[in-house]
Amino acid sequence: MKAFANHLAYDFRSALRDKGRLLMFHLFPLVFFGLCGALMTAVNPFFREAMLPGMVLFAVMSASLLVAPSALVHARENGVFRSFRINGVPSASILAIPVIGTALHVVAVATVISLAGAWVFGGRAPTSVVGFAAAGLLSYAAYAGIGVLIGVAADRDSSAILIAQLVFIPSMLLGGLMVPERILPPGLHRIALLLPATHCMRVFAGLGGAGGAEAPWSSLAVLGSSVVLSFGLAMALFEWDSRSNRPSPKTYAAFLGIAPYAVAALVGA
Amino acid sequence: MSVRSLRKVYGETVAVRDVSFEVGRGEVFALLGPNGSGKTSTLESLEGLRRPDGGSLSIDGIDPVHQSRKLRNLIGVQLQASALPPAMTVDESMRFFCTYHGVPIRDDLIERLGLSEKRRTAYGQLSAGQQRRLALAVAVAHEPAVVFLDEPTAGLDVQSRLALHGLVGELKARGATVVLATHDMAEAEKLADRAAILLRGRIAAVGSPRQLTAAGSRKTRISVGTENGRLAACRPEFPGAAFEAVRDGYATYLSSSVAATVAAVLTWIEQEADALVDLRVERPSLEERFLEITTDPGVEGSAR
Repeated sequence: MKAFANHLAYDFRSALRDKGRLLMFHLFPLVFFGLCGALMTAVNPFFREAMLPGMVLFAVMSASLLVAPSALVHARENGVFRSFRINGVPSASILAIPVIGTALHVVAVATVISLAGAWVFGGRAPTSVVGFAAAGLLSYAAYAGIGVLIGVAADRDSSAILIAQLVFIPSMLLGGLMVPERILPPGLHRIALLLPATHCMRVFAGLGGAGGAEAPWSSLAVLGSSVVLSFGLAMALFEWDSRSNRPSPKTYAAFLGIAPYAVAALVGA
Repeated sequence: MSVRSLRKVYGETVAVRDVSFEVGRGEVFALLGPNGSGKTSTLESLEGLRRPDGGSLSIDGIDPVHQSRKLRNLIGVQLQASALPPAMTVDESMRFFCTYHGVPIRDDLIERLGLSEKRRTAYGQLSAGQQRRLALAVAVAHEPAVVFLDEPTAGLDVQSRLALHGLVGELKARGATVVLATHDMAEAEKLADRAAILLRGRIAAVGSPRQLTAAGSRKTRISVGTENGRLAACRPEFPGAAFEAVRDGYATYLSSSVAATVAAVLTWIEQEADALVDLRVERPSLEERFLEITTDPGVEGSAR
């Protein structure tokens, strides 16, 4: 337990010292939030409704998709995991600690966004703070699971970045952060259901009462199963050694991580 | 530590084939061999980092393949290819790994390995030599019974090399077993009680450095300098020795019978009314023996 706590404390401290991670955890989402708060509220009436969950979700995605996958690949390919392994650091700690450490940064940023969004930019405040926080944590867990799974499955840094962008960009465009899900044409709506962001926004709306209230049960089930599946797959596919010279076919199993979203898209829920 | 018929294959390449050896408690054992000879694969199999494709391994009764968790506090490893997180400072590294091993933080090792002034420096900003020293400090911090060192002095300066040699001596003195893979023959000769020379995945020779060099075909070189240079000028023949060359005024002979040759040389100098200035006896080095084995096309890694 002492080792776990020490590892977690190191992970949190190291993020504060790392300009790249600080940028992606704090500065990038806050600057984007500031710009959107100042500009989007003037041109898009929907944005006030979805500003708080949307910008919190943006912070979640920045931390989970734009930092974690390549950090995992980098550490594995440079032999950091080997050093950990020979000194008895469990693989579960290697995967869980960055997720928990990053969560602390995301919570800090999400708190700033939530308070400033409502008070400074007139964003619609959640009716249930607890529900909103729960939706935020579930969204983080879902995206963190996907980020970790990408980091474990990708054989090189560039692949991790590419795959992460394939989730990040559509999530931004179709996930309900900028444009409400209800106005998407049917074809795009099906695609939107493949994205965690769509379900996260529904859960924010359902649990926090922000951005319109809808029953979030199907999305809760999708996100919950996604969390379990992606972390489970990441543990199962985790490798200690560099894989750049020996692509492993078993990593294609990582695509099973999209199963809950594929089912949601197929049944249209 | 026991290795029996170890085999390790990567795709089509057989990296280690039928390697067997034993290492006693408190022994320093060196694995020598050219690049690609199977040293690292053998070490990493013993460390539980690679799953062998054949054979059996045992360290203090523990099977590294199936009981790798039990192995972690028993062994300390300095890997050839590994790294610490680039942002982790020297102090943080020591704290990090000591807490995972459940032992007190070993500040003394940081000092001992000359890293005191770098305590707050991140791993990524250390020089290659400092990184290796830190890896070594971390590897032995929990006082493991068995220490694996893979090319431990690669990239180290002379002082660091001596500090490492001193540390290996201390490990041995407290009863630790040390297995060392190195390209540095002088280091192996200095530190190892026994060494195995690996060639193309097989053990080509094993024994103490003295036994290994004695088994070679190379003769002992005797270099003699005299006051009047008579020996170098006359180049007489001596029993059991062959004249080799004159170098810097020294006459050099290759001898298979050192005592007889030296006695005969001294007698000859006295008879010639010359005076001995310097006499040097150079046994064949482990490096020469290593080169002899590794460049012999007839050697296919059979035990010799």
